[in-house]
Amino acid sequence: MNDVQQPEWVSKAENQSRLAFGQAVGELAGKDDKVVAISADTIDLFGLRGFLEASPERLIEAGIAEQSAMGIASGLATTGMRPILCGYAPFITTRSLEQLRNDVSYANQRVVIGAACSGIVLGMAGGTHHAVEDLAIMRNMPNMTVVVPADARQTWHAAMATEDLYGPSYIRLGGKFEETNVADIAGNDFKLGKADQLRTGDDVTVIACGALVAPALAAADALAGDGVGVRVLNMHTIKPLDRDAVLAASAETGAIVTAEEHRTTGGLGGAVAELLAQEKPTAMRMIGMPDEFCIIGPTVAVREHYGMSQAAIAEACRDLLK
Amino acid sequence: MTSNYQAKIDGLRNDALHIRRNVWRALHGAGGGHMGGSSSAADILAALYFHHLRLRPDEPDWPDRDRFVLSKGHANAALGATLARAGFIDDSVLDQFYAYQSPFGMHPDIKMAGVEMSTGGLGHGLSVAMGMALGARMQGKDFRTCVMIGDGELQEGSNWEGAMAAAHMDLSNLTVILDYNKIQQSGEVGQMMGLEPVVDKWRAFGWAVREIDGHDMAAVVEALDALPFANDEPSMIIAHTIKGKGVSFAEDSFLWHNNMVTDEVYEKALAELGEPS
Repeated sequence: MNDVQQPEWVSKAENQSRLAFGQAVGELAGKDDKVVAISADTIDLFGLRGFLEASPERLIEAGIAEQSAMGIASGLATTGMRPILCGYAPFITTRSLEQLRNDVSYANQRVVIGAACSGIVLGMAGGTHHAVEDLAIMRNMPNMTVVVPADARQTWHAAMATEDLYGPSYIRLGGKFEETNVADIAGNDFKLGKADQLRTGDDVTVIACGALVAPALAAADALAGDGVGVRVLNMHTIKPLDRDAVLAASAETGAIVTAEEHRTTGGLGGAVAELLAQEKPTAMRMIGMPDEFCIIGPTVAVREHYGMSQAAIAEACRDLLK
Repeated sequence: MTSNYQAKIDGLRNDALHIRRNVWRALHGAGGGHMGGSSSAADILAALYFHHLRLRPDEPDWPDRDRFVLSKGHANAALGATLARAGFIDDSVLDQFYAYQSPFGMHPDIKMAGVEMSTGGLGHGLSVAMGMALGARMQGKDFRTCVMIGDGELQEGSNWEGAMAAAHMDLSNLTVILDYNKIQQSGEVGQMMGLEPVVDKWRAFGWAVREIDGHDMAAVVEALDALPFANDEPSMIIAHTIKGKGVSFAEDSFLWHNNMVTDEVYEKALAELGEPS
């Protein structure tokens, strides 16, 4: 484990990805005067109040109007500005999807989309506020980079890494993580498109992203006690997928479990299965949401209801090793 | 009126005639297309590109250029004809409408020189243009942004998000031109989903509004010269136009929103439009 100095923003961000993203917005704006934040009534959701007060000219409030916000982001990008659109995952993907597809993805504009409250972070809020299809949508946008940081620290790294992107990107933000600060394990080596190998093992691989990285680690540690070697990959970049890491896992462990807070169709599991089906068919199990709208409840309870848990991941690994 | 002024207006009318003839040419080559809304927009496009907008056709990405977004992207034949006449693209591109690997399809593609945004899905242009206008303001640039919207297009709710936001942001460097030809794909706008009182609506949203005859070149030029209509409000030009303007059998009919153009139709259309100078 790398000994990583805890930056000041981590305590400020209370280990919440959306606040870590907001911190990065401020830092990016400090480095580049073309950076501009766009809020869709999301100033406090992203912790941007201080940024707004310090640099009011660098934050555009679009109101509760995601279509307009997305179009504005595209238009700004055409003029050389670097818009960072801060939205709610369920709304900024589907409400403004045509603007996202045409004005941002098709027109290939350098727009960063931060999507807070993804997955079932707002489990208690009901299906209108869940985003468990966003990765499937965003993966199908040409030109788009799709990132699912595992925790607040990695969110900050991912947001800062968008500096080097020249097309659109989608950063999927989770909620507050009660679990280990998993990205500490990977330290500061974050690189877009390169999976973090968090555990070594030769019997089975768990490829996880976002909130399910921590349960994947816990499952691996539990199985290690039974003598099962579980490799764990934190696949923070869904697109472009780290093909080499997936193919190596297939070749070296022969069995793969994917785990994501998303439907099992079209997201991380889909991406891995599409690759392996063509390159190296491999026994797989997919952990995630089934093809239904989610029940209401606290996030962790809802996750467990659908088998997005340490126990279910461990069970899937055992199942593959039978 | 001075003779210079009259010559200018006559020249722009001639530009518009070139655009209309080239719309028919492009559609004839492709077998058909959106003739109605391309023809209704032609006079305004001529006034924009050959009088109003500050552009460098030999440097299409000049950072300080004025921006024009064709939100009613189905009028791309008219935009292409305009860009060719302005020198952004080669005239031969007009014979590549809809063609395999052409830059010139039914709707504008940002990859073609002079096209500021890929459009075609309706209700997108206003917000994109707002972003451009904000980009100018934030970077201390004085370029102006203009977006043309179709009347049927105003049925898309996203326009009203944009209308509210642009006024709230006091974007006086932004102009919308409504090509109000009163006809959409399946019938009359007023019967399908009426816009009236459209002037009052935009005023109520906080826009400075002028109504003009969009085929009266002197009126179009006068309105563009008067921009911005207010120092702290975005400007709206409601241009009353005729769908299919210039060719009698195509005028004012939803059947010619998008139709086939045979050799016979093409010859008749060119004969009615007359020869440009």
